[in-house]
Amino acid sequence: MLGLAIAVWLVAPIALKTLARASFFEMTAPVVAASSYVNDLQKFWALRLHSKDELIEAGRDMARINSKYSLSVQQNGELQAEVERLQSLLKMPAIEGYRYEHARVAQRDFSAWWQRMVIRKGADYAIPVGAPVVYSGGVVGRVAEVHAYTSIVQLTTDPGLRIAAVVDGDTRPISYQGGDNQVFGAPKGLIEFVPLDVYASGSVPKRLATSGLGGVYPPGLTIGRIVHVESSADGLFKTGEVELDPRLSELTEVTVLVKEDSL
Amino acid sequence: MRGTLALFLTLYLLRALVAEVNSALSGFHVWLFAGGLFVVYAALAMPFRSGFAAAILGGLLCDCVDPVGFGTQAVLFGVAHSVVFNLRERMQREETPVRVAVALLVNLGLFLVITALRMRVVHLGAVLPRLLSDLFWSEAALLLAAPWFFALQSRTLELARANPSRMA
Repeated sequence: MLGLAIAVWLVAPIALKTLARASFFEMTAPVVAASSYVNDLQKFWALRLHSKDELIEAGRDMARINSKYSLSVQQNGELQAEVERLQSLLKMPAIEGYRYEHARVAQRDFSAWWQRMVIRKGADYAIPVGAPVVYSGGVVGRVAEVHAYTSIVQLTTDPGLRIAAVVDGDTRPISYQGGDNQVFGAPKGLIEFVPLDVYASGSVPKRLATSGLGGVYPPGLTIGRIVHVESSADGLFKTGEVELDPRLSELTEVTVLVKEDSL
Repeated sequence: MRGTLALFLTLYLLRALVAEVNSALSGFHVWLFAGGLFVVYAALAMPFRSGFAAAILGGLLCDCVDPVGFGTQAVLFGVAHSVVFNLRERMQREETPVRVAVALLVNLGLFLVITALRMRVVHLGAVLPRLLSDLFWSEAALLLAAPWFFALQSRTLELARANPSRMA
């Protein structure tokens, strides 16, 4: 019986396996989405318990942040116009534009084998596979799978995820890989092929950002902070440790960057 | 057929509950694996065909979400089911402590095999402490949840009129 089942599975066409996988996933998706909506409702009713004084204070703080961001938006507009002017003068190719698709996190799956999360937007919002996912602290990861109304995001903490990165203030690319997620501790990643003249430590950390190489992530997005580097075994490069933002483990909302030409 | 569907229903519930618990524990970097529970009751209490089908369906349910080849856990659960089924006459399979002990062993075995399969992606030296921690918490949680889950499966089969004691 077991041998027969394995034999049938081995000779089954890939289209059949893909269809079966999609069918099983969509079977589980309603539970994931429903529990996420129930969580949102629970938070909504918890927030309703706040006093009016607290709401007034929060509104005041929000107004201050809004005015600060309004100023940044104006400056950003001016800089954007300047960039476009220089691009047309130098006949440079236009910088890729992105559509920002905000999505709620429905479920997190953080094991030692993989680090993924399910978000509540999928093919219904034209989310493409491979799209970068970000939050206020930097990179979250990339979209690994897209389903009918949910998507699966592979996180920067996933041991299988690699990103071409640069050290802040440097243009030489280095390789980042997720992986070290100790219990009750901050998530960490590993870097390889670090130039020998790069120094960083826990007391003097350096920001690690995306390089823009590879075409998945826009350049300049924060990945984490390099807190340790040491010479690799061959002595040609250094390897190191990157401390990631602890908020990555508790995100409730993320933004998917959808390239405008992929719409 | 009715027994398989009833068992599959309980496995679907188990999958959803484990996923919710793992989501809630993600902030602590603790993750639970409950593969043993997908296999043991079906292997110890059900006739081979219906139990095997339920284990395979449970495996596919896990495979569809996890980043492993679709069918990997289904095959592993099928193998585990066959092994336990062939050994079940040598143990007091009606006793809950025996079922729990078998579930713990099967869970340990499945965890180690999946870890071995993930080695081409995961660097063992970097993740070993986390793997050991996940394994410890998984076994502890399984120890607590297994009696409840076996009772749930037994009751569901009774409600579906597919009680294994009447079918055997």
